[in-house]
Order: sequence, then C-alpha cells, then structure tokens
Amino acid sequence: MRNDPPPNKAEARARFRRTLFRVLAVQVVALALLAALQLRYGL
Amino acid sequence: MHWVNWVIVVVYVLYVVVDGIRKSKGTDSLAGFFVANKSLSWWVVGLSVMATQLSAITMIGTPGQGATDGIRFVQFYFGLPIAMVILGVTLVPFLHGSGVFTAYEYLEKRFDSKTRSLTAFLFLLSRGMSAGTIIAAPGVVLSAIFGIPLVWAVALIGIPTVIYTMVGGVQAVAWADVKQMVLIVFAMLAIMAVLLIQMPVAPDDALRIAGATGRLQAFDFSFDLSETYTFWGGIIGGTFLMLSYFGTDQSQVQRYLTARSVDEARSSLLVSAYWKIPLQALILLVGVGVFMYYQFVRPPLLFNPAHEEAVVDARSDAYGALQERYDEVFTLRSAAALEAADAPDQATESAAMQEFLDREAEIQGIRTEALAMAEEVTGRDSRDVNYIIPRFALSELPIGLAGIFIAGVLAAAMSSISSELNSLATTSIIDFYRRWVRPDATDAHYLLVSKGATVFWGLFACIVATYAATLGSLIEVVNRFGSFFYGSILGVFLLAMIPGARGRGAFFGLIAGMSLVAYFTFQVPSVAFLWHNVIGAVTVVAVGLLLSMGGEPDDASPASGGAAAGTVD
Repeated sequence: MRNDPPPNKAEARARFRRTLFRVLAVQVVALALLAALQLRYGL
Repeated sequence: MHWVNWVIVVVYVLYVVVDGIRKSKGTDSLAGFFVANKSLSWWVVGLSVMATQLSAITMIGTPGQGATDGIRFVQFYFGLPIAMVILGVTLVPFLHGSGVFTAYEYLEKRFDSKTRSLTAFLFLLSRGMSAGTIIAAPGVVLSAIFGIPLVWAVALIGIPTVIYTMVGGVQAVAWADVKQMVLIVFAMLAIMAVLLIQMPVAPDDALRIAGATGRLQAFDFSFDLSETYTFWGGIIGGTFLMLSYFGTDQSQVQRYLTARSVDEARSSLLVSAYWKIPLQALILLVGVGVFMYYQFVRPPLLFNPAHEEAVVDARSDAYGALQERYDEVFTLRSAAALEAADAPDQATESAAMQEFLDREAEIQGIRTEALAMAEEVTGRDSRDVNYIIPRFALSELPIGLAGIFIAGVLAAAMSSISSELNSLATTSIIDFYRRWVRPDATDAHYLLVSKGATVFWGLFACIVATYAATLGSLIEVVNRFGSFFYGSILGVFLLAMIPGARGRGAFFGLIAGMSLVAYFTFQVPSVAFLWHNVIGAVTVVAVGLLLSMGGEPDDASPASGGAAAGTVD
C-alpha cells in the first residue's frame, strides 16, 4: 500500500540534510528557552 | 464523568478499532503484516515512532512529575536528538538495508544463532513485562478515578488494542499511532490553553512563584552519578539509552523497517529528534501549570480517590483533623501567593514569597502525613503523582475536553501497547518459531500463528498489568526494566559494526555486560539507572573485542530457516 510515489535518492538525501539542520536548530532554540526560563525565574 | 465525555471516549475506542480493521488491506502476507511491505512514508513512520515512545505514563506521570518536582526531568531526553542522528548514519542503514523482519535476525547474519536467540529472548522478557506496566499505569488510574475494577480498566485498554493489532498488523498500528499522536498533542495543548485562561494571576507572576519553589530548574550541571536527572546523565546516559531503545529494541526498529527506503527511515527518526524535547517540556510545563493553578483553587489532600475514600472510612477523625489543618494552611498559602504576585515593590514581594514558601513546606508536611496514613490503611504505596493530572482534568476542564483528555490517555496507552504487541509477536515468530520450530511452513501459516502470538502477548500483558499495579513509580519501573538489558544489547549491535568482532565475543560480551549491570543494580545502587546503559554497552564492546582477538572468522551462515532474510525486499 503505497501512499505516494517514493522520492529519488538525491531528493531523499537532501531532505535528510535539511531536516537534520532543522533538528539541530530546534534543539538549540528549545534548550535556550529552557535556560532562559531557569535564568529568569529559577532559584 | 459527564455523559458527553463518555460519548467521546466510546467514539474514540470504536473509531480506533474500525479504522484499524480498515487498514488491514495488504497485510495478508508476512511482509505486509510485519513491515507493511516497506511502503510507509517517513512522516507516518516518524509519528508512529513518537507515539510508540509516548505512553500513557508520559500523559499522566510526566505532568504529575512536573507538578511535584518541576521540569528537571526534561534532561532525561537530552541525548535523544544525538542518538537519532547517530542511528541515522549507523544502525538504520544496516538494519533497513539487510531486509530483516527483526533487529535480532541481523545478529545471526553477522554473528551466530545463539547471540540472536539470547538478544531476542531478552527483548521478549523485558518488553513482555513492560507491556504489562504500560497497561497498568493508566489502568490503575482509571480504575481509581472511575471506581471500576482494575480488570475492567485493563480490558478497556487491552481488548481494542489487541483487536486492531491482530487484524491489521504493523500497518494498522502505524496509522493508528498517527491519529493517536495528534489526539495526544491536542489534549496537552488544550489543557495548557485552559490553564492560561483560568489562572487567576498573570503568566509572569505564576512563573515567578513556580520558580521560587525550584520547579523551573531545567538544568543540573552537577556530575553526580547518584542523581538520575542531570545534564550529564541525560547527555551521556540518555544517549546510550536512546541509542539502545531506538536502535535495538524491536518495538522501535520495526517502525522504521516499514519505511520505503533507508533515507525515509532516517528522516522518520528525525521527527522524534525534532519534537521530543519541546513536547516533553510542554508536558512538564502543563504539570507546573497545574501546580500553580492549585495555589488558588484548593486541590484534594489525597489525589487518589480510592485511597481518600479508604482513609475517610477507616480514620475519619484523624483524617478530618488533618484536612482542617490543610484547609487553613491552604488559605494562608493562597493569600501569600496572591500577595507575591501583586506586590508593589521588591521588599513586599520577598516577604510574601518567603511566607508562601513556608506555607508550601507546611502543606507538603501535611500531605506527607496524609500519604503515610493512606499507606497504613490500604497497605499499598500511596504516592499519588500519577493521579494529579487525571483529577485535575475531570474536575477542572470543561465538558468535552475532559473526555478528550481521557481519550488521549487511552490513545497514548494503545499506541505504545500496539507497537509492543506487534513487535513481541514478530520476534516470537521470526526469531523463535520460524527459526527453531517450523522453518519450512507457508507464509499463510506464519501469518496465522503471528496473529495468535499477538493475542497471546496481549493476554500476557493484561495479566502482568493486574499485578504490576502495586509497583511504585510506574514511569521509573518501565525505564528500569529497560536499563537492565538495554546497554548490553546496544553493545552487541555496536560490536556488529566493528569488522574484527566475532560471534563468541558478542555472546560472552553480552553476558559480561549484563552481569556487570546486575552487579551495579544490586551492589552499587547509588549509581543512577541511566548510567547502567553506558556500563552495559562499554563492557560488551570491551569484552567482546578482547574475546574476538585471534579467533576464527564466523561462518557466513544463512540468517534463518524457511524464508531467508531478505524476503521483504
């Protein structure tokens, strides 16, 4: 049961790299927000 | 519970079963039933991976932890994105590319049958037990909240899950996971929105008060092996745990074996890497929000209604006196919190905050007394962290939203259990039945026994659930079960990627790793369980390499009897 046509290899790799970059960016933002929360309101 | 909420819960359960059966198309072969003919898109697999990890324990235990202990638990997940990236470039291509049904099948290709069988057996042992605790967590809470026997609550979760998992296989499981994940996130966001709307003070004031109690300390940089939740524990121990869970645990490996290609499998893992920490932080902050809400609206002294009833029946006078003190101190604490929020200057705020903290300590003392009383009366562990959020949802959320929350708890439970049942059945059939009992049977025969195995594991999990109910903090129980074997199994897979490693080294390395973890568990209990993953993995690799030195190369034995590995491709 295929939902949509499978992407070609180059396209899939490019998407993986893009997603990887976004993952790292989101983690940095998330950790920065948690750190800001701790610095502003923590003990 | 209001009838509208019940309707929502019933409609959800029926929908999951019907939709699961509809999704059974194409699962009339073993490859369809176990790996969906490798046909699923990366985002479906990615959400399925997330939903599998996010159990009902996360839905009810984690916000409870946020309410009582703050957000430091988020550090537990710091290693997850790192692990996902490592897996994307290491184990995923190995496993997806080798065309196996189970991760352990690959170990026979690489090493030998005894290493495969031992790791598969350890998986069945640990996951079989954890499937029970995963049903038990919501089962116990729903049973106490609604006053129904535990067996009914377990059946409410277990029976629909077994039906759609048995009929639709991995495809039904993955698609149900997607919808369940949406429902879970919606329920959490809705609770957060309600908290923000109903909080009597501004969010900034609420955060200041929560911060004063230490609940907003997300980071603990101390390098203390006895502390479970520290930055280093999360980054190092957490990375090893997540590498092992996502890289070697069949309940997760089977998710990305359904992806259409190696690259799609990698991308699916990155969905978790992307969202896990923000989502976990949100869930913990919901808990902190509930804690703050209860500064202004009086919460019950005991959150477990069954224990509350038992204590009122057995120790009416003593509990009544405790309740009176609690009401008094609550009023004072509430006033101090409001004063701190509205303070016109720093000095007034400091004084009000100190008053608030003193009253908060007093409240905690009274609660400790009440919990001790409940433990004496019921003879059971009275910790009620898992009851805080369900009690809040049912008493404070608007009609309809409470039903969505309960449906979300069921969804979280079902999405994890279905993946576990599916993977337990796969391992039982592929790594044991087809490998050792009936190597030459037809696909139709294996499919039939696979469905039987799903039902067997479903029943087993339900039976374990009725006993696991008496275990302490359920969230830790599940993680402890995993940590006992996880690190060592990861070590075997790491060895598999080292060209010089041999089967003898892998097998005895695994035994050495587990022995050392057992030693630390029982003899050095001060070392937090997250570090057991590091100890296990490093020991297996070190001992495995040592024993592999100078050994003969392993025979390139066929992976399994009957349909050879590679069938799926």
